[in-house]
Amino acid sequence: MFTLTKRQFVKLAGLSIANRVVPGYLRAEPARDASSSNKVIIVTFGGGVRYAETFAPDGLHNIPRLMELRPGGQFFKSCVNAGVLSHFNSTASILTGNWQRVDDFGFQPPASPTLFEYYRKGAGAGPTDAWAIATNKSFSTMGWGAGSDFGQPYGANVILPKQLLLEATQDIVKKRTDQGLASRENVLRQLENILNEGYEGVGWTVFKAGRQLDKHIRETLIHALTEYINGPEAPTSGDELTFFIAREVMREFSPRLMLVNFWDMDVAHWGSYSLYLQAITKTDRLTGMLWDEVQSNPHYKDKTTVLVLPELGRDGDVNAANGFLNHRSGDPSCRNMWMLALGAGVPKGETDRPVHHVDVAATAAALLGVKSGEMAGRPMRELLL
Amino acid sequence: MASIQPKLSPAIQTYIDKGLFDRLPVSFSAFCFDQMKDWDLLFPNERRYFERLFDLLDRSGQPEVDRLFEPMRAAETQLGVNEKTWPKRQFTLDQVDFLNRNPHYPEWRAAVSTVFGKIDPLLDAEIARKGKPRLVVVISPADIPTGPDRMWLRIANRGKRVAIQQPENVEDFVPLLLTGLAHSQSAPSLAETYAGGSAPYDAWVVEAGDRLAGTAGKAVHCSYTRLDTYRKRLMTEVNRMVGSAEIRGPRQLSEHLKHMKVTASEADIARDAIMAEFTRATLLSGNGTLLINNTFVEWATVQAIRRARPSVTVVGFGVRNKVKPFSSLLIYADQAESNPIPTQTDTLGTYVDLEVFYQYILQEFEKYAEYRRNTVYLFVGEGMDELLAIGPADFPLLQASASLTLPTVHADCAKWLGLA
Repeated sequence: MFTLTKRQFVKLAGLSIANRVVPGYLRAEPARDASSSNKVIIVTFGGGVRYAETFAPDGLHNIPRLMELRPGGQFFKSCVNAGVLSHFNSTASILTGNWQRVDDFGFQPPASPTLFEYYRKGAGAGPTDAWAIATNKSFSTMGWGAGSDFGQPYGANVILPKQLLLEATQDIVKKRTDQGLASRENVLRQLENILNEGYEGVGWTVFKAGRQLDKHIRETLIHALTEYINGPEAPTSGDELTFFIAREVMREFSPRLMLVNFWDMDVAHWGSYSLYLQAITKTDRLTGMLWDEVQSNPHYKDKTTVLVLPELGRDGDVNAANGFLNHRSGDPSCRNMWMLALGAGVPKGETDRPVHHVDVAATAAALLGVKSGEMAGRPMRELLL
Repeated sequence: MASIQPKLSPAIQTYIDKGLFDRLPVSFSAFCFDQMKDWDLLFPNERRYFERLFDLLDRSGQPEVDRLFEPMRAAETQLGVNEKTWPKRQFTLDQVDFLNRNPHYPEWRAAVSTVFGKIDPLLDAEIARKGKPRLVVVISPADIPTGPDRMWLRIANRGKRVAIQQPENVEDFVPLLLTGLAHSQSAPSLAETYAGGSAPYDAWVVEAGDRLAGTAGKAVHCSYTRLDTYRKRLMTEVNRMVGSAEIRGPRQLSEHLKHMKVTASEADIARDAIMAEFTRATLLSGNGTLLINNTFVEWATVQAIRRARPSVTVVGFGVRNKVKPFSSLLIYADQAESNPIPTQTDTLGTYVDLEVFYQYILQEFEKYAEYRRNTVYLFVGEGMDELLAIGPADFPLLQASASLTLPTVHADCAKWLGLA
């Protein structure tokens, strides 16, 4: 018969009871093992979106997919961007775990190492295992930070789909080809031409990984472009291309760490509220489609945590310089956002406890089971049960 | 970098000579200095504001001024303001960058708000004593695909919906409202009549199209359509500079574009140096004003309120075009040329856009003492049988119980302004 010593009994009983009566985050469980297959995808509503148009009561109709997903995840009601309210610094803060105050336009890399570097170095991950699929050209320096122990050898592949699209449309307009931009085939041909000329022209960083793998990467990207051009909903925006490329990268390389930075909602700077709302709804739809891919792809299903959050907010309607058009007032509408965590090991629920953008990198590092360096952010205990 | 002494009013120059600016926190005095450096291009209201502000500070005792600016000095210490980071009277892009990226920027902003929170009521009290009736008319285009019950929803609770009798000919709707007579009878408008008897820049007509041009007379007339040539030149230049990588970032680009003034051959507005600079600044202070007609109208109106404080303002919105697939990525390209797909209007999108802009415009007026308690706002949808009136209780429309004719509305407005 199996017997227990008193010490063993107390230990097991204590743990068993603790599971029922003590919240998981108080049990201070260690970070997961780097050898695990946990994956993390960070999805940002880049460009900036306000609570008012998303999870505030009047905004819920703009985000039907997130609303559908929210009950199955952990919703952080208060996720604060306490840093510089520019795009590059905001996303760099999310990725480094430290508030960044570097050049707003990507002329400087983040001042501290990124999550990509901690992950690749810590887990010994290869060059196709960390990707940043973003929009703004300034994000070309987002793949690695300035830390001397890390840097480029451990950085992410940085893909900027909208820049490729931009180059292609510019070329088509310049060449005045038959049908011009009205022909989707013209657009596809031009996208392929630019891609074949090299990634650097459109600000991408894709690591050289040997001839065979390079060919594989190129074919993957071309396939994504073809899917995009022939998509049944006739997609045309940069964010839609971002989605198609992100999905293709997931299918071909199954990276364990990805940033997907959507951006269309920054159209708010044009001053059209309706275009801004349409962009939010589109981002919601694309985020939902990304989640669908996570659920249907065996490399991701049940082993992936998806963290969805706005990069920053936008100015409030009252007493601001010009309301939703900008994001520079520093008012609560600019800083106070939300985060939705979904997927593997994420307990259902919601919390009022304020978390910060810099907590994302620390949390993701813990989920990936890698040690991070010095970070201002702290792991979100709600996600580390 | 040596600071250049701008040409200022004698009064301001006297305060500088007396050393007033040197006794103020450097970020405050530098900001004011920067704002005043193109003195000749400021509106009369802006010049009066600076004269009143520095007169107030000069009249106040030094201990009182020190107390007033104490939070700002504390914030400057936190920011790390010193002669190197902030040379005296300098407010360039370097200082803007220094502020934006400084971890204590929020504290500095809060301190600025605190200081102005104490100064503004004193200056406002003086303005309020000299108050006069003012009028704002905001006209939405006839193409808006909704009824008046779905209009002005964000601000409707601030005023009263007033029933309007439709004119026989819808083309006469705006002329009857603004002139009291049908288009064929060609009468002077409220703005035109008011401008004829008031100081320059006291009456404005801002519009997306150009059909209110004939109602402006001597009033300032700002039209997105009439700036077409200038806008396209600016867009081409921005496109060229961004493409050629000559420019480091948007702020540097904006600095470069400061020299691209509108020419007389491009628009009549160029004949007035103040308005030429106003137009340049309005078109270049955000992408949207170059690209979208109603964004231009909203921002030009907001800037006119902030800077000129007009007594009569007529705002005419238009219908925005739909963005075209792919070519809308090329934000500085002419959409009509860059994509063969026919241009289509977006009336529903326009409706959604304007609902926000009504609120922003009303809010902007109400920020200033000039407009509080003495301004009538009429929000009008062309061809609609209802308008929204906001204003003091003694404005006749707010007591109306039956539907009114447009000439009656016009007559009430004229009387309110003292034109009848």
